[in-house]
Amino acid sequence: MVTQKIMVRICMGTACFVQGGADLLLYGDFLDSELQQRIEVEGVSCLGCCKEHQRGLRPPYVQIGEQLHAEVDQTKFILLIKEALDA
Amino acid sequence: MSRLFIDIGSSSLFKSGQKIGGDVFLLSRNPDKSQIVCTLSDGLGSGVKANVLASLTARMAHKLSFSPMHLVNSATIIMNTLPVCKERKISYSTFTIADIRLQEEQGVVLNLVEYDNPRALVFVQGQSKQWEPQTKNLHRQGAFKEEVILHSTLTMEQGDRLILFSDGVSQAGLGTQKNLGWRRAGVESFVQQKIRRNPDIGSKALAEAITAKALELDIYTAKDDITTAVVFVRSPRRTLIVTGPPFSPSDDEQLVQKVVAFEGKKIISGGTTAHIVSRLTNKPLKMDMKSWSKDIPPCSKMEGVDLVTEGMLTLCKVAKALENKQSADQFPDDAVRRFLHILEISDHVHFIVGTKINEAHQDPKIPVEIGIRRTLISRICRALEELYLKETTIEYI
Repeated sequence: MVTQKIMVRICMGTACFVQGGADLLLYGDFLDSELQQRIEVEGVSCLGCCKEHQRGLRPPYVQIGEQLHAEVDQTKFILLIKEALDA
Repeated sequence: MSRLFIDIGSSSLFKSGQKIGGDVFLLSRNPDKSQIVCTLSDGLGSGVKANVLASLTARMAHKLSFSPMHLVNSATIIMNTLPVCKERKISYSTFTIADIRLQEEQGVVLNLVEYDNPRALVFVQGQSKQWEPQTKNLHRQGAFKEEVILHSTLTMEQGDRLILFSDGVSQAGLGTQKNLGWRRAGVESFVQQKIRRNPDIGSKALAEAITAKALELDIYTAKDDITTAVVFVRSPRRTLIVTGPPFSPSDDEQLVQKVVAFEGKKIISGGTTAHIVSRLTNKPLKMDMKSWSKDIPPCSKMEGVDLVTEGMLTLCKVAKALENKQSADQFPDDAVRRFLHILEISDHVHFIVGTKINEAHQDPKIPVEIGIRRTLISRICRALEELYLKETTIEYI
């Protein structure tokens, strides 16, 4: 069975990078290789969510498939990817 | 902007075991940018004492070169002022002063004063030039030996080079690799070969190649301080740096037109700015996930632009690197390294600075260094002008 890879876009804008985005770039180390094979990671210079803090959301932002997630750290990143793959 | 640019680069290695050098190379230019003075001085002995002698000599030679005083008188003053070495009972430091004046009609006029350093080399269109300098005996009272100063006046045109080096270079390999050391003739043929292979080699790269070869001849343990300086007359290389979105979005179009029309290297520093250019030129942005380090976000690629980086973090680190005179090769393969590489080979840097404030950067949780773009750019400009003698211009949009 050929499954489609899920697109994961990590925001690399200044605000996201200094508030945890940089840690997510180490996905090659903290994410199971089996999960890694099922996703396609792309860096984005800015997801344009910088003003979302007005709604109580905080960086770093990650877009998994079509869904946008805020305040993503390494643990949350793994969980979100598992969830997206199971869905 | 002048049709000629004077590119100066130097490279220095200390004698093995020393933490400070006895060779001092100084470089400065007058406020109207028409005169550049470089001084290479080598103090007696090595380490701190030599550094004091050489620094004093170089500083004095420097100050006096910008005064109307005759160079021979300047030399006498320098020799009389130097402190006397306790062991050798002599005060001594060799020096070379190159006074370079940029004149629109005649090209570049070089006044060279040499005292006891290895004779400087001049390459005219890649060929070594032979010339006889005028000699002047100082006849100074209390001198411990005959003091002869060599003075030459030469004109340089586009493509010409001047090479100054200390005796650590000409004596490299003395007694080990080569009986009498590398000597001036050895350096001459080495440089000739380098220029033949790469006629556009930058001054910094050439100076580093010469010191590296000298160290190699010394079997990687420098027997003396090794210093080389290269002066290269060439047409200016231009670079454009665009950072920050325009204050008013209606100026986006104007910004993009300027980027497209610019001839030379182009750097875009800032995610939003890159998006604006990408959107209006219909050129996709692709992030290069390999080029990052722990505090610098990755670069991106866009057709027609040489480098696309994140904004404030990258610029902040570039400013620090320039102020601390760190070379590009000291950094991992990230945006800062690529940025510095482009700056190293640029002579004239034009900045277009967008003045829109990024709200997300005002967040108190963000490091303080992510300050105000304008101050950061003026720091970079000051460093480029004062420490690297580059020309800069800033335009706000």
